[in-house]
Amino acid sequence: MVQFFLESERVTELVTHLKGQKPVFAPHRKGRKSFAFERVEDAADVVLDYPRVMHSIRKFFLPPRETLMTFDLAENDFSTADVQPSDAIFFGVHSYDLGAVHRLDYNLGKGHPEKNYITRRQGAVFVGVSFEPDAYHFCGSVGIDPMDTSGFDIFLTKLLDGYIVEALTEVGEQLLNGLDLPAHEAGKPARGNFQQHIYLPQAKLNEVMAKSYDNPVWAETAEKCVGCGTCNLVCPTCYCFNVEDTVNIQATGGTRDRHWDGCMLREFTGVAGGEVFREHLADRQRHRVFRKFKYISDETGQPWCVGCGRCTAYCTAGISIVNIVNRLVGDYEKVAVTPI
Amino acid sequence: MAKPRVAIFDFTGCEGCELNQLNFEDQLLDILAHVDIVEWREAMDGHADEYDIAFVEGSLSTPDCIKRIHEVRRKAKVLVALGACAVQGGINGVKNTHPIEEVREEVYGEDKYLFPTLPALAVSSVVKVDYNVRGCPMTQLEFLKVFTALVLGKEPIEPEHSVCVECKLKENECVYARGMICLGPVTRAGCDAHCPTVGQYCTGCRGLVPEPNLKAMEEILVEHGLNVDEAWKRLQLFNANEIEGVRS
Ligand code: SF4
Ligand code: SF4
Ligand code: SF4
Ligand code: SF4
Repeated sequence: MVQFFLESERVTELVTHLKGQKPVFAPHRKGRKSFAFERVEDAADVVLDYPRVMHSIRKFFLPPRETLMTFDLAENDFSTADVQPSDAIFFGVHSYDLGAVHRLDYNLGKGHPEKNYITRRQGAVFVGVSFEPDAYHFCGSVGIDPMDTSGFDIFLTKLLDGYIVEALTEVGEQLLNGLDLPAHEAGKPARGNFQQHIYLPQAKLNEVMAKSYDNPVWAETAEKCVGCGTCNLVCPTCYCFNVEDTVNIQATGGTRDRHWDGCMLREFTGVAGGEVFREHLADRQRHRVFRKFKYISDETGQPWCVGCGRCTAYCTAGISIVNIVNRLVGDYEKVAVTPI
Repeated sequence: MAKPRVAIFDFTGCEGCELNQLNFEDQLLDILAHVDIVEWREAMDGHADEYDIAFVEGSLSTPDCIKRIHEVRRKAKVLVALGACAVQGGINGVKNTHPIEEVREEVYGEDKYLFPTLPALAVSSVVKVDYNVRGCPMTQLEFLKVFTALVLGKEPIEPEHSVCVECKLKENECVYARGMICLGPVTRAGCDAHCPTVGQYCTGCRGLVPEPNLKAMEEILVEHGLNVDEAWKRLQLFNANEIEGVRS
């Protein structure tokens, strides 16, 4: 694959070049210390050097809130929302977030396929960028490298004074056409070191989790947890939602809307008739961690956590999924080596 | 089908939640198309003997309030509390954090014996409340949601989750990141994270989530190097009754 070199000063030029072809969504500053993916209006606002965005690009395929249909009570009729393929470039995506999109493709594509998600996923072009792991990233422990180019159409690898640019698909190549970039010869830099690790070899994943149902860590974590659901809502591989109908005041019609929901929230575990399946925060915390490391993993053999570190970084109570999982591994090892 | 008969009552509050204050001009005709208002001190004379829905504003803070609310409950099929004062005692509950005699002296001075007073109570601490419209003041949007559900014979849904959920759905930067105390993690959602969305902290005006983990909340404040006493004073502002006994 041919590699080009892009000076840091020319990032704006690249964004403008892409923007001339399709809408571009990229990280922007938000608030004082945060970043968020937004549609690019001015290429100069794009930030490529960012630790993480609160919501991954999942939000473009499965929006936090969306109207599914409008209904007319007088006519006893309804029409579903007009959902369009995204047909856009997602620029500056980290490898773990694309990994998360591939996991969502699996979850929302099988069984009863999620039509809106699948439609919006169409025409999505991904331009990745490498990143320096910070105090929360641990994707290396779940097999995702910061310089992993797989699945991207174009990938930018950060160098001191610019980026290595690679077109990895035909779509990517075409998008770069017309941009005059010098070739890059020197090879790729070494990747940064992770500060966070989970010590769970994939071969042992299912076994460790199978032994963790009664671990005291669930109750201990629950003492510190306020049950705010943040860890679900920021997780790029979470896809649960709730659906609500709203009728207008004239009682002539209304809308059916859905919004993200999460298994840390008590209401989420309630069912018709008032039964609540996971009454305690400890049960819900276990369920959340098992959704990332056990239930789907038993099926696929892969962790469903992509190691983005969001759930830990955004938890006001400082609860760390890395600590929880390492505790499970540690307790498993202890029991495993204890003679009977 | 006969229209539901509605009665509206006000107890102790600042009148910020009163229905006639909420600029309902655009919806009033639609509202009236669904119901018959049979009692409403602010807008009409007379009393009714029975009603299907009673909307109650304000907290209960005198012996007379207690007498009246029992009567309302007896006559109403469904009772809805409107606004923070009615739902959890609201700001009036701050009074409960001081000895009642001190409060009487302070407010009425020499005439204090003419004005019997009680701690400011949530309506639900005296009679059964069927549904709540929360907030200080409650919003038109939330009132209409509950109202529409009731006239359609549906169960109004009250969120149990915290303000953080709505805050996260909007991808707001958390105000803790800016060194502010926010009560969002233990406060009931429904306002669409109104305050954090404009860069302010949440003062808990909608009341606490069910079974709030206040110990964990305190840990959060300590871990962020924030003033726990200050946070608890803020929590008392709207939730004196709810946190009574949990921490003094
Ligand atoms: S973000 Fe933290 S406090 Fe909130 S539910 Fe998750 S673990 Fe609990
Ligand atoms: S579980 Fe936490 S670290 Fe793992 S993908 Fe979800 S938010 Fe990221
Ligand atoms: S600003 Fe407040 S409500 Fe929003 S996430 Fe932070 S703590 Fe929760
Ligand atoms: S954010 Fe908090 S204080 Fe503000 S309206 Fe909502 S519940 Fe009330």
